Amino acid sequence: MKPSPRSWPNLFCLTGVLLFAAAGPRTIRAAGSDPPIGKLIAPATLAERLQSLARSNRSIVRVKSVARSLGKRDVWLVELGRGSDAARGARPAMLLVAGIEGNDPVGTAAAVGWVERLAGQYKSDETVRTLLDSTTLYVFPCVNPDAAAACFAKPLLERAVNDKPVDDDHDGMKDEDGPDDIDGDGQIVSMRVLDPDGEYIADPREPRLLIRADKAKGQRGQWRLLTEGCDDDRDERWNEDGVGGVNFNRNFPFRYEWFSAVSGVHQICEAETRALAEFVVNHQNIGIIFTFGAADNLVQTPRADSTGPTTGPAARIVTSISERDLPYYRFLGETYRKTLGLEKELQGVSQPGTFSDWMYFHRGRLSLAARAWSPTMQLELSGEKPKEVPKDDAAKAVEGGDGEAGKATSGRSGTKAGSVKAGAKTSPARPSEPAEAASQDRDFLQWLDKNAPDRFVAWHAFDHPDFPGKTVEIGGFVPFAKTVPPEKELERLLTRHADFLTTLALRLPRIAIRKVESKHLGNSVYELKIEVENTGYLPTALRQGEVTNEVYPTRVVVDLDPKAFLSGTRMTRLTAIEGCGGMKEVRCTVLVPERKAVKISAVSMLGGSAETTLQLGGEK
Amino acid sequence: MKLIRLLSYAVIMVGAGLGWPIGHWTAEAAAPKIAVSDDHTYPALGASAPRKVPIAWNRYHDHAGLYDLLLRLNKAFPDLTKLYSIGKSFEGRDLWCLEVTARKVGEPSRKPGMWIDGNIHGNEVQAGEVVAYTAWYLCHQYGHLPKVTELLDRCVFYLVPTINPDGRDRFFHEGQPNTRSGSRPCDNDRDGLADEDDAEDLNGDGVITQMRIKDRNGRYKPHPDYPRLLVRVKDDEKGEYTLLGTEGIDNDGDGRINEDGAGGYDGNRNWPWDWQPSYIQNGAIDYPVSLPETRAVVDFIIAHPNIAAMQSYHNSGGMILRGPGRAGGNMRPEDERVLLTIATRGEKIIPFYRALITHRDLYTVWGGEKDWTYSGRGILSFTNELWTPKNLYRSATPPTDEENAFFLEHVLLNDGVVEWKEFDHPTFGKIEIGGTKKEWGRLPPSFLLEEECHRNMAFTLYHAAMMPKLRIADVTMEKLSDGLYKVWVTVENERLIPTRTATDVANHISPPDIVSLAGPNVKVLSAGRVLDRYFKRVEAVRRRPERVELDTVAGMSAERVQFIVAGKGEFTVTVDSAKGGLLTARHTLP
Repeated sequence: MKPSPRSWPNLFCLTGVLLFAAAGPRTIRAAGSDPPIGKLIAPATLAERLQSLARSNRSIVRVKSVARSLGKRDVWLVELGRGSDAARGARPAMLLVAGIEGNDPVGTAAAVGWVERLAGQYKSDETVRTLLDSTTLYVFPCVNPDAAAACFAKPLLERAVNDKPVDDDHDGMKDEDGPDDIDGDGQIVSMRVLDPDGEYIADPREPRLLIRADKAKGQRGQWRLLTEGCDDDRDERWNEDGVGGVNFNRNFPFRYEWFSAVSGVHQICEAETRALAEFVVNHQNIGIIFTFGAADNLVQTPRADSTGPTTGPAARIVTSISERDLPYYRFLGETYRKTLGLEKELQGVSQPGTFSDWMYFHRGRLSLAARAWSPTMQLELSGEKPKEVPKDDAAKAVEGGDGEAGKATSGRSGTKAGSVKAGAKTSPARPSEPAEAASQDRDFLQWLDKNAPDRFVAWHAFDHPDFPGKTVEIGGFVPFAKTVPPEKELERLLTRHADFLTTLALRLPRIAIRKVESKHLGNSVYELKIEVENTGYLPTALRQGEVTNEVYPTRVVVDLDPKAFLSGTRMTRLTAIEGCGGMKEVRCTVLVPERKAVKISAVSMLGGSAETTLQLGGEK
Repeated sequence: MKLIRLLSYAVIMVGAGLGWPIGHWTAEAAAPKIAVSDDHTYPALGASAPRKVPIAWNRYHDHAGLYDLLLRLNKAFPDLTKLYSIGKSFEGRDLWCLEVTARKVGEPSRKPGMWIDGNIHGNEVQAGEVVAYTAWYLCHQYGHLPKVTELLDRCVFYLVPTINPDGRDRFFHEGQPNTRSGSRPCDNDRDGLADEDDAEDLNGDGVITQMRIKDRNGRYKPHPDYPRLLVRVKDDEKGEYTLLGTEGIDNDGDGRINEDGAGGYDGNRNWPWDWQPSYIQNGAIDYPVSLPETRAVVDFIIAHPNIAAMQSYHNSGGMILRGPGRAGGNMRPEDERVLLTIATRGEKIIPFYRALITHRDLYTVWGGEKDWTYSGRGILSFTNELWTPKNLYRSATPPTDEENAFFLEHVLLNDGVVEWKEFDHPTFGKIEIGGTKKEWGRLPPSFLLEEECHRNMAFTLYHAAMMPKLRIADVTMEKLSDGLYKVWVTVENERLIPTRTATDVANHISPPDIVSLAGPNVKVLSAGRVLDRYFKRVEAVRRRPERVELDTVAGMSAERVQFIVAGKGEFTVTVDSAKGGLLTARHTLP
């Protein structure tokens, strides 16, 4: 089936439904081998896909729903690992979160692809078997199913928010003016109106793109840029209050942005985000988090430059990654880029209130994040040499305009013409220079022309009832053009992410008792020396884990009556033990008149536990 | 009858003597009825209405006791109350809310609302009685006192005596002295176990008090005049005792006593505004609104946009606290002015209470309740710290240790004291257990509790009375030509609190106040807010002229809206304000 240039959205919708049928001979292998990877999965089919995986891998895969969305869709949790609930709950664990950004079907596909591949590899691959026997993997493949459903719905509309009604334009009415597919092509794109008060002009080097007119350069605005649709509530604003909602990846407590259009009424206010928060609070063994979403720290390694106040009660609030934790971020970022095939750092996207930042800054865990795909990433992977990395945070295309497009991804307010007030009043992510954004868009559009021409709708005139006598054109990038790669790019992208995720899961801390020495001092008095080591990669606690007090000290217990201790105590608390063979020693003197087996155990919150016994006592 | 006439006469004479206006006692029909009461008791001023629900306001109630009290009020006053649970505590106790308003006068959910809660810190128990007293008083005085009648006709009270019933019941049932936290288990000492080492009543005397040990090197000794009072010795003086803390043992064998009791967090640090994690704000626990109690209140307040005033009772110190909770926190000057006006009135209503700002005058609080209700919801909020020991001697300076000891001995006749008794402690050996009871210090004694309840309630009723009172004061119609009219609508706020506070307007928390005009044969051509009523300057709305959005109607002032209408006949003016209510006025074009 060869799609016509304009039929991409239709194909896109179908892929979810025709998943297995469309898998094709390329991905079919021997039973138990790698399942297909490289397809997008609609929320409606996710449950069956995951339950089927659990049914055929009962010993290592568990699936359950942890929340219901407003749209009555389940939020699924997949748990991988062998053994009882108690055993899995005490092991070192990694958490993978996808679909939290809303417009992230690629992350969802990557998450499902990864767990399916691991389950398939369990019997045949020694590394994977060892991993799943000793590690617990928690996977939320789609935290925002309401938003995800939009990428399989008609008309196709890119949105990152759930179904919660919100009065975005503060007029006392909720969701009364969303975008409309006025030209009936099945998708919501942009709309431009020839208007002397418009803030945009056609990019002289690529007339299909609009750039903001720069009055300082003598440019006079020509176009008004809007999202496709009508002014449903007659307030002379277009599509400023569409369906929803909350972007879950703006709903967490670190750097939470109050009163923005997408951050929710308060932190962790939705059933889905609350379920995720409760989950991490109740699974303290999680040592590594990978989130598909903003707050990128992989394509671009963050800097340790604090931005917070230096005096007053807020001065103690940590606002940048600790110097002592940074080397781990740096190394894992390099590994990520290498695995994906990126030769250099790209510009990362930072947003307030993300889940991943919360997990590091408040909960003290190593927390990595990246968007699964982006135009700049694609250009780099294709060797199309994007221009220099801009110094500013976020790549923001001059696209979107007044309405819903800005809302969908929330960070765009900086470039929105006459933007919705609540968009992102205080978004710390500054828009990049229009010139830089324009240059990226030009390169990306050229790439699309060659590789996926159906992803940009040529501007075409439309007789718009709201603008009698004015020139109105509909066109621009199609929904998901900048968040979902063309299908031929998808499989490679997802496979490489799966490779990285497996590597990452092998980087957890792991506690072990290297050696126990006992020395009889006479009359059943013994001096004990216990060497506790970390055979994993990460330390048993990051610096931020200790600063926040959220990662508890490693406890070493010599299981004798407290009265037996002549020096030292029954329980010793150890501060962070470095990975790759880092060791800490516990010494104590005990009186053990009767010979017995003494249990010695070490329990680490993130590194699991270890235990040994020692015959002791009864010597003269 | 004769007696009444005689009394009336006496009153007239006395009144005349004092220079009161006379005459209104003379009509016999208006003479107060005086009769001998069946139980031979007579009302005192303050709570003078007949008592349909008798309650002893000099005693404390556990959670079930408070519920019973609310239930009795609900049954006795069905037209004034509605009783429901807004959620459950960690241990499954209901958070009971008594909604008090004149239910047959107006729609309760559209009246300006005042939220009053108490006891978020489980040990601060008298807060529950103050809230319950408020409910009791309002119910009984409705129809008797015009001020109360007016209040319940136009406002609604959401009264939740305890939002930490678990901590409250631990305080009463388990005798635990410090039940500030709720009951969600926490691993305070980070040893992998939660709540495994709490205080206990070792000697079985029914109270948990203090432990002390005779010690040649101790730094304490009994006070020479008040031997029950332990005092620190001078630096160069020899002591007799070392204090060992609250009664208890080392339950988990870790060499520490009572270091991991029930709970271990602070419910008043779990609110969303300016929330910070535990390393910044002790007690914050996992994340904002993580506790079921916090969540129930947050969800309720968000679901009731008519709430325009808030009070959350704590103890102790005699404070009327307003935000912000931290230096540099949010407080708009316009809102601060209104709060200060109300709090200053409160200082007079409640002697020895002072109007203070939390971070400036007390300490820094991240994630406090009133900071969220103000900054997150735009509601003017106070926290009263109930009870000040200045009340013991009605003195502006707090009593000294000796004066406290004197009060215990000569006023309470040692009711607050547990005599020191010997005990054989598993760790310390021979010790003594005793000291003051947990009720001493932060809770008023029986005979001062009712006063505490009444005065604080009186302050909140003043606060409630200041909630916006909207009135469509005037609708004027001026004919411009045949079938064309200029209609001016005046919307007046007769109280101090604006319909939307400055922080509400700035952050678009509530929807705008909307003044609209509609009629079957009327078309609105243009409309706008009147900026200057004398020079008739009008700012026309750009769109939807039948509907004018106002940011706020400020306190003790009016807004005017102009409609240019074409047509004839009847029209209705509607004012729709989240916190000011829903008002309509019907008129006919001349």
